[in-house]
Amino acid sequence: MQIYVCVKHVPDSSAVITVLGDNQIDENVIFLLNPYDEHAVTEAVKIKNSLPDSEVIAVCLGKDDAEKTLRSALAMGADRGILVVSDAPHESIEIARVLKTVMAQDGIPGLIITGKESIDAKGMQTMFRIGALFDFPVATNVIRLDIEGDIAIVDSELSGGAVDTYEMSLPCVIGAGRGLNTPKYPTFPDVVKSKKKVVKKIALAELDIGTSKADMWIVGLEPLVLVRKPKEITGDTDEVAREVIRILREEAKVI
Amino acid sequence: MNKKYDAIIIGAGVIGSPIAYELSKMGYKTLNVDKFHDAGEGSTAGSCAIVRASYSTADGVAMAYEGFKYWLDWENYLDNVTDEKGLARYMNTGSILIKSQGHKWQKVQENYEEVGVQYEEWNNDKIKEMVPVADLHEFWPVRRPEDPKFFDEPTNEVEGALFCPEGGDVTDPALSAHNIMRAAEAKGAEFIFNAEVVDVRSEDGRVTGITLKDGTQIDAGIVVNVAGPHSFLINKMAEGVWEGCNIKTKALRHEVMYCPAPEEYDYLNEGYHMSDGDIGCYVRPEVGNTFLIGSEDPDCDSQEWVDPDEFYEGKGGHGRDNVLTEEQWKAQCYRLGKRIPTLQVPNQPKGVVDLYDCSDDWIPIYDKSDLPGFYMAIGTSGNQYKNAPVVGRMMAELIDACEKGLDHDNEPFQYKFKYIDRSTDVGFFSRKREINYNSSFSVNG
Amino acid sequence: MKNIGIIIELDEGKIKEINFGMITLARAPDSDLFAFVLDADVTAVREDLESYGITKIVDVALASDQRNNPAVRAKAIANGIKEYGIGAVFGLSTATGKDLLPRIAAQLEAPLVMDCFTVDLENNLAWTSRYSGKTSASIKVTGDIVVFGVRPNAVEPVKGQVSSRILKFDGSRIVSRGFKFVKRAAGDTSVKISLAEADVIISGGRGMKNGDNFSILSKCAEKLNGAVGASRAAVDSGWVPYSMQVGLTGEKVSPRVYIGCGISGSIQHFAGMKTSGLIIAINTDKHASLMADCDYSVLADVLELIPEITRHLENG
Repeated sequence: MQIYVCVKHVPDSSAVITVLGDNQIDENVIFLLNPYDEHAVTEAVKIKNSLPDSEVIAVCLGKDDAEKTLRSALAMGADRGILVVSDAPHESIEIARVLKTVMAQDGIPGLIITGKESIDAKGMQTMFRIGALFDFPVATNVIRLDIEGDIAIVDSELSGGAVDTYEMSLPCVIGAGRGLNTPKYPTFPDVVKSKKKVVKKIALAELDIGTSKADMWIVGLEPLVLVRKPKEITGDTDEVAREVIRILREEAKVI
Repeated sequence: MNKKYDAIIIGAGVIGSPIAYELSKMGYKTLNVDKFHDAGEGSTAGSCAIVRASYSTADGVAMAYEGFKYWLDWENYLDNVTDEKGLARYMNTGSILIKSQGHKWQKVQENYEEVGVQYEEWNNDKIKEMVPVADLHEFWPVRRPEDPKFFDEPTNEVEGALFCPEGGDVTDPALSAHNIMRAAEAKGAEFIFNAEVVDVRSEDGRVTGITLKDGTQIDAGIVVNVAGPHSFLINKMAEGVWEGCNIKTKALRHEVMYCPAPEEYDYLNEGYHMSDGDIGCYVRPEVGNTFLIGSEDPDCDSQEWVDPDEFYEGKGGHGRDNVLTEEQWKAQCYRLGKRIPTLQVPNQPKGVVDLYDCSDDWIPIYDKSDLPGFYMAIGTSGNQYKNAPVVGRMMAELIDACEKGLDHDNEPFQYKFKYIDRSTDVGFFSRKREINYNSSFSVNG
Repeated sequence: MKNIGIIIELDEGKIKEINFGMITLARAPDSDLFAFVLDADVTAVREDLESYGITKIVDVALASDQRNNPAVRAKAIANGIKEYGIGAVFGLSTATGKDLLPRIAAQLEAPLVMDCFTVDLENNLAWTSRYSGKTSASIKVTGDIVVFGVRPNAVEPVKGQVSSRILKFDGSRIVSRGFKFVKRAAGDTSVKISLAEADVIISGGRGMKNGDNFSILSKCAEKLNGAVGASRAAVDSGWVPYSMQVGLTGEKVSPRVYIGCGISGSIQHFAGMKTSGLIIAINTDKHASLMADCDYSVLADVLELIPEITRHLENG
């Protein structure tokens, strides 16, 4: 079976983000394999090890530099990588079309796994778009995945810890959640082994991804975390508690 | 009227605080001023706080061995002071020095013999027994992952190790500085924070005090520069001091990595501190069963000298806001990954980046200066943490002797250790020395 | 005139309060507002919906064995959207919405912006956060149908009374090929939200005094659907496990709200949480550095204040 893992090259969650111009960021920060995709790669390799004659192919759309992220996936056990090279920013409608096209061109996907979201965009939708383009069933925030014959049995985590169990016919698309596994990171011998693995690069212009009437793009970016000027909350315990709750509700909007 | 003290100590890190403590015990009225918000929050906080005796000079070994006794007797050293933050703890792990081409281990062994440091010689079988996860191939010379030869198959093995059962680390280095501050305060010392020195004043060829950024002047006939990575900036503020130093200091950016230990290896409880020149790394256990991986500055790694003010403000330096660089993360983790082939290296770098106050020959300057009343304990370059309490005592005695008329430049002060039966020639740390080519020119000291 | 669709989230047949802010945001002059209500008694929610401006209530009926099937639910709504000529769809960016909305958008190949704080429908612009909450992005969407996932509580609800018509939409024949719902297991409260994913983190330091007191933080975090973290000092003291440590040597976090309880705020701790959206520091020591590096400081004993906050949260 060919197991495809869709990975994204994202800025480290702890990177300091500086906005340049209207809608760009300073990319002189650490970029790495999207943390949710680490679970996807780990799961794909685990399944591959239990299914004879299977192969794990990591696919990515990004700048030339995203090869590093594919190399991380290869060091974690993927067999080969495909990088669709594009310098332009892309949103999920396009990303899904590109990844679908390149997977369909490369082989016959038996299973597609990706992180349930990317930490930079948090759009949470690429896996569903890939599923729709292939007409494959999709489940997200998957915390258990068992393959039984041509059926995938998955547990998907909902709010409040509730869990749904679904059966999906293969091929299907899986959005990996944090609870799926503990990522298996590469050892030095794994890194040495992966150096021989191949990353194929395809220019985006070489792919026919079709056209969509729908589109989305970032027109403006503004930094959110600015210099902090502490305000003191005073009063008796009851007043302070009420004020903290007001801040959580009205300013932070987390209640 | 300006406030007046006997001595102002610039810096309240792990070396500035014990100088205040010892001077206070001698009856000096002291004030520490620090630009950060609490004791030990500057470069002390980024220290790996390793306590080991392996130095390339006998005096270095002696001082480290002496320091070890203080850490063992921490409560007593602090005169049983209470610190609301709790006390730092010394964890004895034992210390392995791999015999490799990366270290002058023969020299270290001679020094152990001379000073009387307890040690054992381990062959590779013994290392393997004590550190079952280790691969004892020789990987020398140290290279970077960008170099294709980094991935060459090794053929030879290392030649065993020297093991000191006495050795380990101090949990929470910032807390240890805080503890000494509380002990010093109990003896009458004062500390002020968020206070940046902008001038060291002098009159008629003698230091008279300091001026803070907000314009406050504080007077003292003694000023001690213990400003860590800012030390060269302070020396430049004092008349004739910078010019009078033959050895200078500057700030070096340094990264320390945290990489989880292999799951089956209880490194936190069963592991050792290890200096491994063969891979250019030193490691010690860290909370969370993690390897703390420091670099021994192999020649292939570049050095990045930075402006300390810009660094602490989050400007300048490699990888903005002083976050780790991916290149160095991979270099240090993969080097250790050769020695420990089951070590899993996460994609996200994790660790600490801070500054070394580094002298031209990586040996500190513990000295007076060309400006009477101005002293310095600087250039402590990543290997003096363990000596801090000893340095506190030694500096206090040096200052006291000089103030009482000793001509230290011509008749160097001889410091008698408190625990081990030995003296050290403080002239060894002179600002006037020529570069000492016996130095390892690295954290190894 | 544009037809606007709104996907209503119910809790056991009752309308959730968080829908009203979303409806307020979706209202536009001269527009018909279609509220999609799945598998519920619409007469019970009609009055509430009318009071916020809903003009059409789409009563979607599903086959009884497909009610819990997210693929079927999404398909039913997508079909309804096409049927009623809807141009813009609003849903909530809740756990349910994070599954449902992308399914709908994918099916319609419509652009979707999740977790919007606000939307400018006239210009097809939506604002959301990007880069781990460190920037606000305005996103332009184009297409015959556009979809917005609205962050709960992002918009203050404002009433606007109208009267509505109920439209029956039969989705009982909708099935999903290759996707079968098997079962639902009730929430396991022992499943804790991870530090990396939590919107709210309450962390304890030395000021917690012992490990048992961390249960005070857990109770409050539970009410806020947040996670509990700790400073290195608390971990070193053996009060809580290392997995809870926030800082350079532990987890680096960027929640929307970080509440530091009895944490002095060492440089290494601060570096691990400084990108948080809003920082509240609670300490009895007004000199603690976190008290100067936060958005709100409270000079108080956490052991008294946090239980009080929890009590208020429990009492609504």
